[in-house]
Amino acid sequence: MKHVISWVDKRFPLTEFVKKELTEYPTPRNLSFWWNFGSLAGIVLVLQIITGIFLAMHYSPVASLAFDSVEHIMREVNYGWLIRFMHSTGASAFFLMIFIHMARTLYYGSYRAPRELMWWTGQGLLLLLMATAFMGYLLPWGQMSYWGAQVITSLFGAVPFLGDELVIWLRGDFTVGNATLTRFFSLHYLIPFIIVGAVVIHLVALHSVRSSNPSGINLADKNNIPFHPYFTIKDIFGVSVFFAVYSYFVFFQPNLLIEADNYIPANPMQTPAHIVPEWYFLPFYAILRAIPDLVGGVIAMGVSVMIFAAMPYLDRSKIPGGARYRPFYRVMFYLFMIDVLILGYVGAHPPEGFLVILGQGATFFYFGSFALLPFLSKWEEAWLRKKGLPAEVEALLASEQVQQLDRRHSREDRRKNSTETSGDDGNE
Amino acid sequence: MMAMNNCARFIILTLSAMWLNVFFVSAGFATTSNFPLENIKFTQDQASLQRGAKIYYDVCRLCHSLKYIKYKVLQEIGFTKEQVDLLRGDIPISASLSKTSSDKMLNSQYGQVPPDLSLMAKARKHGPQYIYTLLTTYSEKEGVYENAVFPGIKMPDALNVANAIDESLKQEIKSKAKDVTEFLLWSSDPRAAVRKTIGTYVVIYFLILSVMLYFIMKRVWSRLDKEK
Ligand code: HEC
Repeated sequence: MKHVISWVDKRFPLTEFVKKELTEYPTPRNLSFWWNFGSLAGIVLVLQIITGIFLAMHYSPVASLAFDSVEHIMREVNYGWLIRFMHSTGASAFFLMIFIHMARTLYYGSYRAPRELMWWTGQGLLLLLMATAFMGYLLPWGQMSYWGAQVITSLFGAVPFLGDELVIWLRGDFTVGNATLTRFFSLHYLIPFIIVGAVVIHLVALHSVRSSNPSGINLADKNNIPFHPYFTIKDIFGVSVFFAVYSYFVFFQPNLLIEADNYIPANPMQTPAHIVPEWYFLPFYAILRAIPDLVGGVIAMGVSVMIFAAMPYLDRSKIPGGARYRPFYRVMFYLFMIDVLILGYVGAHPPEGFLVILGQGATFFYFGSFALLPFLSKWEEAWLRKKGLPAEVEALLASEQVQQLDRRHSREDRRKNSTETSGDDGNE
Repeated sequence: MMAMNNCARFIILTLSAMWLNVFFVSAGFATTSNFPLENIKFTQDQASLQRGAKIYYDVCRLCHSLKYIKYKVLQEIGFTKEQVDLLRGDIPISASLSKTSSDKMLNSQYGQVPPDLSLMAKARKHGPQYIYTLLTTYSEKEGVYENAVFPGIKMPDALNVANAIDESLKQEIKSKAKDVTEFLLWSSDPRAAVRKTIGTYVVIYFLILSVMLYFIMKRVWSRLDKEK
């Protein structure tokens, strides 16, 4: 074994890689359980790909067979029901993990320099995930699948000039039909692998800027501990708790998140009483409907998803620790969370009476929070500094400065060393 | 040392987040009419399933197919091979249960082909309660039949509730409706019982594993305290 490894090591930096990126990878020791959700999302991704591959072995992406083939999986394939419910529940679990992961980033301000690229690759991952989930939802070919796809693809009609052409191009037909099903299936199989690639980029970025932590500053070396065994065990524990909860939903409540209408085969002649998207799209759907004009609604919906990317610039405060040491930002964070829940509630219901106003108010608040943030964060910082920062925060800021100096020195040292050693190598 | 009470907070928050989602989703439905559904519990016991299967076979099969249920699958609710053979006659055992009237006839009679019932218990919100209430709330006024849950339904009063004045007959029809609903509930998800049995073990397994991992984690992390 040793020989094999050393053989490989001469040709590929295996041991070095494992050491650097895993066993000795320095990780802040103060990470809370909120830092577990990234790895959990990764686990769900793997789970979705594996169950998805097995489902594809039995599924027929043909309009006349799709619905029946799902029932075939549910009833006749060995443990087909398990694979299918793991996959359908897994989609919701994936979004839940990602939303919590994002909320953690927002709360602790982990998107701030130098982690902007992590945040943006994360934003890209969110978009890919949404696309995958949306296309996957068409595959069971139930009523809600069909009409959901019909409504969402029609939104592309809002694009000026090209709209109508674009919608037909996306659907492969004038309405959602067999052509739409086959292309969605193809893409639903493809995009997850692009997601895997994007996750690798996300992780490479992570390993170059390192994990953020609740204090909001880069901790001194002594407060970083090796990833293994401390965080391997912590992540494994998180995965186990996750599986306990996930299994409960897979085995006992698998239909909870599947609309009853989706057990009726797709029928292009009959529109369901009201078309509700999956829960993870509800807040954005509510924003779409809050704007009376279709084009405006589509733009608002797009912006509501993409606006997170601007966070590193919108948040101008330099106080470390995100919401922890920033009373106003903290209040804003919680209000924003409540606002998203309200939007979700509005999105799940037919837009009638009070809900219309509530949806518009919540939409206004949604964008208002982002618009106010630059001013509020600046003002909050000035106010905090004037009031005098708590000793804790002062200490953090001071230690950050010291470390920046340290880092600069050590980088210079390293550069010196590396020129020396490379000289040695040359002599060899 | 990391704050371990965070662990409890984390679990509570995750669970409540999940339940919130559930709340939003389930709040998203609307029934066709606002008639309150009878909230009865279904037990899925074999005797009741078998009685229900017979009622389906004798009554509903005239108009409704059960295309995802094959004759041979009926053995899963305790019918013997002989009983199934008796039911199917010369229909192959791997054939699905199909309706006995022709589509054409049904179409001319009811203006549509009655829906397949295999998934009916899942295809309506509160499916089983819905079917049960639907079957038991027919009424007649001057020769015109009406249904409380589905006003204007095309389906005739299959179990004859509307004209049952006698209390004991009414009870009998209600228990028939319950049995056939039990059977349709089973048909919509024949793997539900197995799923729940396996599920109990899986959830318990992960709970125990989590507790064990928690203590292992505590031990691993305690090394850090010793270092200092
Ligand atoms: C004489 C023909 C006939 C018989 C017998 C019959 N049905 Fe129906 N059933 C129909 C028709 C027609 C419809 C469509 C009603 C409509 O959409 O207006 C229907 C619809 C239904 C529905 C769906 C209602 C909905 O929400 O769309 C259920 C559930 C149902 N039947 C259950 C049963 C059960 C259980 C039995 C046996 C006890 C049965 N039916 C016997 C003709 C029949």
